[in-house]
Amino acid sequence: MKKNLWPVACFFVLLLCAFGRQERFQRFELNGYAQGTTYSIVYYAADSFISQRQTDSLLQRFDRSVSLYQPNSLICRFNRSAKGIRIDEPFKVLITRALQISRATGGLVDPTVKPLVDAWGFGVLKPGHDPGKEEVKVLLLNVGADKIGLRGDFLFKTKPGVQLDLNGIAQGYSVDLLASLLEQHHIQNYLVELGGELRVKGSKAGNELFKIGIEGISGDDLDPAPMRKVIEPGNGAITTSGNYRKHHASGGKQISHLMNPLTGYPVQNEMISVTVYAKDAITADGYDNGFMAMGLKRTMAFLSKQKDMGAYIVYRKPDGVITDTVTAFFKGYQKQN
Amino acid sequence: MVRRTFLKNTGLLSGGLLLSNQLSALQPTGEPVKIAVIGCGDRGTGIMNILNGMPDQFRITSVCDVLDFRLAAAQKMSKTGAFKTYTDYRKLLDDKEVDAVIVAVPLYLHYPVAADVIRSGKHLYLEKTMTYTIEQALELVNLMHGRNNQVLQVGHQYRYSPLYYRVKEMINKGYLGKVTQVDCRWDRNGNWRRPVPDPSLERAINWRMYKEYSGGLAAELLSHQIDFINWAFDTHPQEFFATGGIDVFKDGRETSDNIQVMLRYPDLGLIGNFGAMCGNAHDGYLFKIKGTLGTVSLLTDQGMFYPEKKLLSEKGTVDGVTGATRIVWNKEGGTPILPEATKDGTWYAFNDFYQKILRKELPDSNVFTGARTAISVHLANQALYSKKICSWDNAYKIG
Repeated sequence: MKKNLWPVACFFVLLLCAFGRQERFQRFELNGYAQGTTYSIVYYAADSFISQRQTDSLLQRFDRSVSLYQPNSLICRFNRSAKGIRIDEPFKVLITRALQISRATGGLVDPTVKPLVDAWGFGVLKPGHDPGKEEVKVLLLNVGADKIGLRGDFLFKTKPGVQLDLNGIAQGYSVDLLASLLEQHHIQNYLVELGGELRVKGSKAGNELFKIGIEGISGDDLDPAPMRKVIEPGNGAITTSGNYRKHHASGGKQISHLMNPLTGYPVQNEMISVTVYAKDAITADGYDNGFMAMGLKRTMAFLSKQKDMGAYIVYRKPDGVITDTVTAFFKGYQKQN
Repeated sequence: MVRRTFLKNTGLLSGGLLLSNQLSALQPTGEPVKIAVIGCGDRGTGIMNILNGMPDQFRITSVCDVLDFRLAAAQKMSKTGAFKTYTDYRKLLDDKEVDAVIVAVPLYLHYPVAADVIRSGKHLYLEKTMTYTIEQALELVNLMHGRNNQVLQVGHQYRYSPLYYRVKEMINKGYLGKVTQVDCRWDRNGNWRRPVPDPSLERAINWRMYKEYSGGLAAELLSHQIDFINWAFDTHPQEFFATGGIDVFKDGRETSDNIQVMLRYPDLGLIGNFGAMCGNAHDGYLFKIKGTLGTVSLLTDQGMFYPEKKLLSEKGTVDGVTGATRIVWNKEGGTPILPEATKDGTWYAFNDFYQKILRKELPDSNVFTGARTAISVHLANQALYSKKICSWDNAYKIG
């Protein structure tokens, strides 16, 4: 008899804890600007443990490492250098992960893609024309993950013309850094969003999961389409790569801002957008551009072997109809949505 | 008629947009248009400056002004060989070498000079406001009748900026919802006078100060915004209310230095507030178009869109949004309409003038739309001077 009461007692104790916890927790929100976009943090805690000054300064420090918009950032200094420079810890984490992902995707994601991004008109400075065949060939001589490497703190390049662009992965990592800052302050229920890349953990008041909308693909910022999907991924990161917004017209064709580092040309396939779920945002953001370049079939095959990563993909069928699909480990997705 | 211009304009809209984006890539097929400038004051020489940067499209061959010192200053701007200079524009019009003429003379002279240019068969870029009086506007419409190969473009240059095109498109697609108010200002803190080297030239140089020559602030400044509303909504005001006076600079001028015009567009349920003055520069250029779904706020070269706050309550259903390169709202809840500031409107206007000459097409800012705006401005001034409500007379036959 006594024995049988234990689970019931435990249940009540846990229930009390849960209520007690939620009663004490309040909602806090921070909003700011970083990396040419906005960020927002929502967290539930007993007090306002984090101030905007902390998050702003974290992001500013990060920009001094890897922002291409700051001429004196480490990344810009590396790009100007002949052989390489000594780099800081966040930069090291970022470049190490970028190189891993580059290998895993067979080179379809490449941190040395900058000359291509610039030549196709998506860099800081815009050229007057699109590059020709010969020009692309020359540009490719400076592109390739094998042309850089780490020796301790020293990031070296094999040719002076090698230049880094970590914009495809840096936003994700900065979201992770913000999440770590929250967790250092023992905050366990939060949503961090920067430029459409997110990290979530725990729940809102009343144990309700955070809801994340996957943006519609109209690409018209001034008349946004309704959310395509609303998901509740629980713990983890969600990032999106897509070509429905950032592109420019050339010779009657739309040029995507996403480069295929192997061919030297902008990505052109059936993919419209890929929303990736992974444990952390550096991983999700690191892969999402790669999936855009891989195309539907290869992405599905790649993700079928992954146990902790999934994707929601919007693509154009050969008959022009826009449709979507989802892989097994894309979390918090409900088909009836 | 209003319907017809609308159809023509929307047809041109997409073409115009493509053009302005791709002009740099577009190789001009022929020789540059040989162009002459009648009136080498601030505006005339301002245009010449811009044309000097467009050597593939235009070559200035002759200049005309009644004031010698202005002719001499204009001559100094020549890039390729000396200009032919004239003090009598009729002699310039006899010059067979000239393909097109820019008329940038005081408003009261627009009609006689423009009419002579039209009769000479040359293409015409006529500065705004198109004419000083209603009758002159209708007369120019008559004069252009049947001259389908001759281009007359009126200098409401903001129409040609990709930014203002985009705003027109936003209005037409209903992004702003039902628009019921427009707020415009064009203010300065200064007497709006030009330096006069010799007192005898006061009226010739500061013609804007005198009713005999000028429609004042309404014609010189507010006409741009009045024209844009006419164009964007394919309409014209029906009722005109105005007040104003010489409140800041009592220096012998006759035109008001402080005016407020209210225009009623009953078919749209729209009120337009247009103000200009010389006694405060804080707002400077202000142009707000307000609808049930959002507000557009424009400068001459950049603009913001502010959706109504209740529409941003998307956050209520989701806690975060993931998407490719997300839209950025600023602290006031606005977002830029175009990613970068546009060039000077005159640049776009002359690019289009060149294309229209090449293709012998009706410009967006043409004699019909120019007439609508000139009549609107004139009625606004009539209301201002008579202190009475004035109305658009449906007997005005434009086209």
